[in-house]
Amino acid sequence: MNRLVTLLIRGWSWFSVLLFCSALASLLWFLLRHGVPTLGLELFFGDAPVGKAILGQVRVWDALWPACVGTLLLVLLAALMALPLGIAAGIYLACFAAPRFRQIMSLSVELLAGTPSIIMGLFGFALILFLRKTFFPAANTSLLLAAGCLALLILPYLIFTTRAALDSLPAGLKMIGPGLGLSHLETVFHILLPAAGRGIIGGVILALGRAAEDTAVIMLTGVIANAGLPHGLLGKFEALPFRIYFLAAEYQSQAQLDSAYGTALVLLCLTGLLYCSAFLLHKTLEWRWNRQ
Amino acid sequence: MEPTVTADKPFCLIADLHVAFHGRPVLKAIDLSLDSGGITVLLGPSGSGKTTLLRALNRLNEDFPGHLRSGRIQLRLAGELQEIHQPEISVTALRRQVGMVFQTPNVLPTSIQRNLLLPLKLVTDLDREEREARIEEVLREVHLWSEVKERLKESATILSGGQQQRLCLARTLALKPHYLLLDEPTASLDFKTSRAIEDLLLELQENYRIIAVSHSLRQARKIAGRIIVMKDGEIVHQLDREGIACPETLPQLLEELF
Repeated sequence: MNRLVTLLIRGWSWFSVLLFCSALASLLWFLLRHGVPTLGLELFFGDAPVGKAILGQVRVWDALWPACVGTLLLVLLAALMALPLGIAAGIYLACFAAPRFRQIMSLSVELLAGTPSIIMGLFGFALILFLRKTFFPAANTSLLLAAGCLALLILPYLIFTTRAALDSLPAGLKMIGPGLGLSHLETVFHILLPAAGRGIIGGVILALGRAAEDTAVIMLTGVIANAGLPHGLLGKFEALPFRIYFLAAEYQSQAQLDSAYGTALVLLCLTGLLYCSAFLLHKTLEWRWNRQ
Repeated sequence: MEPTVTADKPFCLIADLHVAFHGRPVLKAIDLSLDSGGITVLLGPSGSGKTTLLRALNRLNEDFPGHLRSGRIQLRLAGELQEIHQPEISVTALRRQVGMVFQTPNVLPTSIQRNLLLPLKLVTDLDREEREARIEEVLREVHLWSEVKERLKESATILSGGQQQRLCLARTLALKPHYLLLDEPTASLDFKTSRAIEDLLLELQENYRIIAVSHSLRQARKIAGRIIVMKDGEIVHQLDREGIACPETLPQLLEELF
């Protein structure tokens, strides 16, 4: 009986892995088949001369460059707002908070994590309406607002993963600091955080990916189809996921639909690039921790 | 190093110590005076309060939730007996003088050298050369130097269990404590490695006041200068060297207790 159960569990595990791998492979194959032929300077810059387009001297129409810059800026801004807050909140909950407060806060974070992204977008939109009617009549949806709402969206991932990474450290490791007479702060920053680095970076990667791909939030908070390169924090912007959505929903020719596949591929690569940067950052920090 | 242990004066006085966690008493009315030379071994069944008594000496129980204590603990620090809970004594300073090594070797997942350097950097104001000299000194003291001197930059996690435990011991000794608290230091090690650690502790007793928790009668007989037998949070018996040496006393006592 036991043997049969083991066999079944094994079989199911293998089946799940195979299912996952084949789903990923078919997705990639589909994207590559449709997307690769469209890759080229034209996809990124349209008819505009490349050098001038990169420098922002000429406007790029119907091409990816402004959306690439927009997405990159959006993710960086959101990360800049959410990373320090999220990681610090996670550290606080894991290492400093009183048990009762910790329970209440964890519940709040769970609630925030369960909020659909469209609600975050509506929140941003409502905030702008409120500001227009009260303190800032000139307030409008913008890159800054979209990044702020995205930051709110990814905050719970960061808090959860940081807290979980610290909580799951072995009890022996947690006792090193107190046993040696280090203060709680020294123990947290010199022993626990470096040891939990891998888990925390995992959360950062997840959060960056989430910020890069979300469409619902930015749709209501400042993205438009043909904004060109973002004009400052308070300007409108373009973004890759919105461009995919827009092209897929309103394409008028096969070429436009194909360029949506190309855009999806570029978004995938961009997210991969962000993952690699996060991984490199982790390696650098780990190296610095080990350095004499 | 000059021996810091003198056999004639008491170095630890405990009076009416009660410790409870979440309202459940773990230590009850402990009175204890340690004044003899040699290693003090706390012996007793699981749950008898040995580890809690050990952790009371460096106030480590305070790091666990639901801790409640009453009673006095005095340790000889800087030549005179001092109440360790008085506000003038900071808990971090106390723990540096009362070093602790745990049951399972808990090396940092980093290089051997870094394991020793990190606390030295944080706690002492030694310069780079002094730190390196201190590292060599303590690694020699725990007989690990010849085994690791060529690979100080390698990860500490690839060392064997016994080597890791000696590294943990070295890490504690590097901060020059007066006391050494050992919580079943050989519990996770094989017989041969345990013997090596026991021999090492017998050497170290010249320079440090050592209090160890053990569950092994053989080990207690080998290393102890005094045995404190505990049961249900109370000290039920104390044996000095003569008592330990007597072939019947200890086994008979433990037969009754376990």
